[in-house]
Amino acid sequence: MEKISEIVASPVTNRTLLLLLVLVPFLSAFFVSLFGRSSRRIALTLAFVHLGLTFFVVVLGTMHLNVRAEGTSSRTTDIVRFHPTFIPGDTAGKSGEDGRTGWTLMRLTDAPTSANRSGPYVQFFIGMDGLNLWLVALSSIMLIPAILVSWESVKTRPGAFYAWMFFLQGAAIGAFLSFDVILFYVFFELTLIPAFFLIGRWGEGSARRDAARKFFLYTLAGSLLTLIGVLGVVVTNPDPTTGQITFSLPDLMANVQHWLKVAHDEALAGKPEKLASLHTTQMWLFIAMMAGFMVKVPIWPFHTWQPAAYGEAPIGVTILLAALLAKLGTFGILRFVLTLLPDAAIMYGLPVVGSFAAFGIVYAALCAYAQRDMKLMIAYSSVSHLGFLVLAIFAFNAEGLSGSVLHMVNHGLSTGAVFALLAFLLDRYRTTQMSQYGGMMGRFPNFAVLAFILCLASIGLPGLNNFVSEMLMLAGLFHADVPHGHHYTLAFIAAFSIFLSSWYIMTMLQKVFFSPLKEPLPADPETTVPASDVSRREVFAFGSLAGLCLLLGLYPQPILDSLKTDVKALTQIGNGARARVKGEPVPVESATPPVSTANPTPPPKIVPKKGGGGKKDRKDAKGGGGEEEE
Amino acid sequence: MSDPIDLALIILALPLLACLNAAVTAVLKSSLSKVAHVPLVLSCAIGAVLGILLLLKVADGETHRWISNPITWFAAGNLKVSFTIAVDPLSAIMLAMVTFISTWIAIFSSGYMHGERGYGRFFAIMSLFVFSMLGLVLANNFLLLVAFWEGVGVCSYLLVGYYYEKPSAAAAARKAFLVTRLGDVGFLLGIFLLWKMGGWNTDLSALFDYIAKTPPDQGELTLACLLLFCGAVGKSAQFPLYVWLPDAMEGPTPVSALIHAATMVTAGVYLLARCAPLFAMCPAAQITVATIGGVTAILAAFIALAQNDLKRVLAYSTVSQLGYMFLALGTGGAISPVFAVTAAMFHLFTHAFFKALLFLSAGSVMHSMGGVIDMRKFGGLRKLMPVTHLAFLCGAAALAGLPLLSGFWSKDMILESLEMAAEGERYTGGYYVLLLVSLITVFMTAFYTFRAYFLTFWGPERIPEEAGHHAHESPSRMTIPLMILAVGAVGVGIAVEPFNHKFSHFLDHAPTLQLAFATSHAPVLEHHGFNWLLASIGTALALGGLGLAFIMYRKGTETLPAAIEPVFALSRNKLYVDEIYGAVFVKPAGVLAFLSGAFDGFLDAMARLISSLPRFVGWWVRPIQNGLVQFYALSMALGLTVLLTFVAFKIAR
Repeated sequence: MEKISEIVASPVTNRTLLLLLVLVPFLSAFFVSLFGRSSRRIALTLAFVHLGLTFFVVVLGTMHLNVRAEGTSSRTTDIVRFHPTFIPGDTAGKSGEDGRTGWTLMRLTDAPTSANRSGPYVQFFIGMDGLNLWLVALSSIMLIPAILVSWESVKTRPGAFYAWMFFLQGAAIGAFLSFDVILFYVFFELTLIPAFFLIGRWGEGSARRDAARKFFLYTLAGSLLTLIGVLGVVVTNPDPTTGQITFSLPDLMANVQHWLKVAHDEALAGKPEKLASLHTTQMWLFIAMMAGFMVKVPIWPFHTWQPAAYGEAPIGVTILLAALLAKLGTFGILRFVLTLLPDAAIMYGLPVVGSFAAFGIVYAALCAYAQRDMKLMIAYSSVSHLGFLVLAIFAFNAEGLSGSVLHMVNHGLSTGAVFALLAFLLDRYRTTQMSQYGGMMGRFPNFAVLAFILCLASIGLPGLNNFVSEMLMLAGLFHADVPHGHHYTLAFIAAFSIFLSSWYIMTMLQKVFFSPLKEPLPADPETTVPASDVSRREVFAFGSLAGLCLLLGLYPQPILDSLKTDVKALTQIGNGARARVKGEPVPVESATPPVSTANPTPPPKIVPKKGGGGKKDRKDAKGGGGEEEE
Repeated sequence: MSDPIDLALIILALPLLACLNAAVTAVLKSSLSKVAHVPLVLSCAIGAVLGILLLLKVADGETHRWISNPITWFAAGNLKVSFTIAVDPLSAIMLAMVTFISTWIAIFSSGYMHGERGYGRFFAIMSLFVFSMLGLVLANNFLLLVAFWEGVGVCSYLLVGYYYEKPSAAAAARKAFLVTRLGDVGFLLGIFLLWKMGGWNTDLSALFDYIAKTPPDQGELTLACLLLFCGAVGKSAQFPLYVWLPDAMEGPTPVSALIHAATMVTAGVYLLARCAPLFAMCPAAQITVATIGGVTAILAAFIALAQNDLKRVLAYSTVSQLGYMFLALGTGGAISPVFAVTAAMFHLFTHAFFKALLFLSAGSVMHSMGGVIDMRKFGGLRKLMPVTHLAFLCGAAALAGLPLLSGFWSKDMILESLEMAAEGERYTGGYYVLLLVSLITVFMTAFYTFRAYFLTFWGPERIPEEAGHHAHESPSRMTIPLMILAVGAVGVGIAVEPFNHKFSHFLDHAPTLQLAFATSHAPVLEHHGFNWLLASIGTALALGGLGLAFIMYRKGTETLPAAIEPVFALSRNKLYVDEIYGAVFVKPAGVLAFLSGAFDGFLDAMARLISSLPRFVGWWVRPIQNGLVQFYALSMALGLTVLLTFVAFKIAR
């Protein structure tokens, strides 16, 4: 028994598991493509295999992250970096962890670099931390309903279809796990190819080719700009001691903070020129980098590819697009924009991007209400919800960031689930036009129960998942400390979006589930058997999603706990940036519990809680709000 | 069992078990669905017994508040939300009242809903509702409170839409949910504003203590209070968000009795009573609350005057009576908040009895009239339904505030609180006007209540065709609850307040009210005993309203003198408020949505235009687009390499 536990807990196992998480989808893709009709069964089995792997990683990962949250490995400097673990090819070898990988893909210089220093290498640097663990889990989970709802509907070349689905999943997981900026970009772009073919070949509407092309061009154009932005950061932030550039995110973010700190110290000493020029550079790089992410999320006005793509794609693909690909955009902002361009994120995040996002929340909600097709309505609702998420990310504080990471998972689950519900109708009838349906509650009572749970989850009903993350994000917006900010307006719009989402969802429920019975033509015109209520396959697909929504709504704390350390690192970066923008010294973190010292009168300018990085502070953070009760 | 917290948790768990049980039964489609009401009735009955035990315990105890150990729900940064409940006199009294009333309504429903297709579904949702309502009452954390608050909202939505095939029911369900949710936006904003200025607390008790100790900026606190009040306005159907409640009468009548009269709609009143320590600090917020209450009370009473639908008369009357409760709550800044809250809670308490009774009687009428509830189509049911007639009479008399009945005492207390506020220091003129408004409303209440009574039960017997041959008194499952509640409507007021002051003494101990008293700016006014003058004016007005109704309607039919016909037409058309809202908010929102959708097409066209530029260029390089994945991948890799080489050269330099 001991031996087993040793093997299970060993770093080598962890690394292998993590590597498998990325590789298995690609291998599955290859394997599935060899089959024809029977491919759906094989695809489902393989998806479950991947889910099993993910389960192990999640269990081991949360254990690891919780140990880390105890604060034994933290360093006491004011420069923070991510600490990915489970890194395949870790330079520390079999015994321990070094936080770097030796798997170099491409060297840009022949000059030898000293140990423990990264050079200009493009590396296969993947790792796990609190921010990406749950998104990977989401990617693994969502493939299963996506396969299940494609069960009957995909008839042409199913082998290739499922192969591309796996390809898409693998690329998304790779992007989530990447800690090398170039590797991230490669995976990020790699998602385009399967999505392009899935929409273009298996799409449902007549405009599918057009939608696929639009999707491809739009996102490609955006992400090329992102690449330029990323490379700009890389080039302008070499290692302070060796002068080498690096593509490794943890090192790069440390470099960025170093140069900002130098400039800030000068500025405090009375020479602001350097900081000002850095800020100008950051602004341009911010615009470039955000371009790709804003398209991918999408944020108004760059969203026009999305309703077309979601609407034309086969429903299983729409699930993956909404649940995973949209998250790549928000995740990219969280992982790269906040860490690499923190000052610009403070200066232009809420005021500029936030304004677009807030406008988009209302605009997309109105568009959603105007849609007659349910698929398009949910597509627009996704724009609206993700606008809220982007607002919360740029609030750049613990509540907002924790809430937004959690919301990425929650939104993926519930939006994916609502799309999956449409598959039920599409399998039986041909249309998703709202006006053709009515009284489905009496026609399919069991389906109605599941549909209500999932729809209520998506409008943020308490007890179901979205409520928790929406409350955290709202708290983040209330707490946001923006120079020249108008964040109460943003908080108001965000809160209003909760109403707006119930506005169009409830209207849909009224038309489709209530009202006198109205059925469109059956999908199979020859059939004489009336369509039946949920099959066992569908009960499993919807029921498990509904169960997850309920679970995450009642017991989200394990996820939030595992995020704590990484969110803390981000908030520390945010506080530093805020101080630089305001021209104040970086707040000195106090060892005392945060709230007992917090100023009761309106927003304390610098929130002491966020300052931490030291050992003591970390311990305090674990108690969290415990002391707040006083 | 001895600990009040344990007791409260058991009471809370019972309906949840009933709900799970009902859900399982519904899924299994077993023959048990015929007795689907049993779990709910049992859990409510046991809950009521335990609730009364709890009441006694709280009354006897040395301490007056028990707070359960918080269990974290979610926490990040400074936001910490936990599952925690509080038992204090306020919540204990609500707990006992809710379980008691629900027991009888559940028994009534088992008769009323007999033979309906969704019998199991009905009781499952009812159980979920009772659970949520009890949770709402007990919650000691703002976001937990929101959770149950929304929970009762969803149950209300599902039950209003119970007859889902009826388009009007479907529309009413959606309207009920959306209008209350609009108020909830304000509620949430208020909570987070309080969180921010209240030392990052979301637990009610901790938050109140913190704010009492370190009073924040007056303006911001007032804003927060008003935002909280938004939630109450939505849930308790106050002006301008009351429009959903009359429509919600599309639900089965027991639902109207339980949710839309006795319990859920009083949640807003309860919320403000809980938050009395905050409101006591903001006189400006208080007078706003009182004004909204006053406007609602008279407006709804006016609309109730000429309604032909018996249930709608009762619905508007509920809105109006809730307005009374807010009137009382709103005096909390000018007089002792303890008295103000006691008056509101007392009216809430008695109202629950007589309004549930009235609704159930109306349900009994509707049951035997074959689903017809239009008072023009039936009449003279006195002989046909003697028990229902008597029950309705008791309820109507209590609602009208005839002397010695329960409504009389509670309404008198509210009038008294207004009168004291009018003698106070701040906003005296405002409170004086509100006192006059509430006196006029007393007259109108008596009039429309007895108008409904005479139209239904007096005059020659008229039975609609829909009733067929089985127009008869309801079965005993329905009449027994009527009798019990009738006794309550008549006696519960006199039993607990006017002579022994049990109710007010019991509430006096509530720690939040003590805190509110300590923080309020109100001068200490001596409660100068029973106010005979005010009571006689109130009685005279009520009797006047009754008398007028008797003169006009004793024949059981409505014949209006031409002079007041326009007034009645205005009332019958609900002051055209629904039409105005439709024209000002609903239509424009739809138009705006349409325009946005159209604009999105334009935006897409712009994007296409821009993207056609590269396509034009692409005409030159078309051969590259050969559709081979390998080629795309290769070109991507190539492009990347070129870029990286560029970078490499740049740094090498």
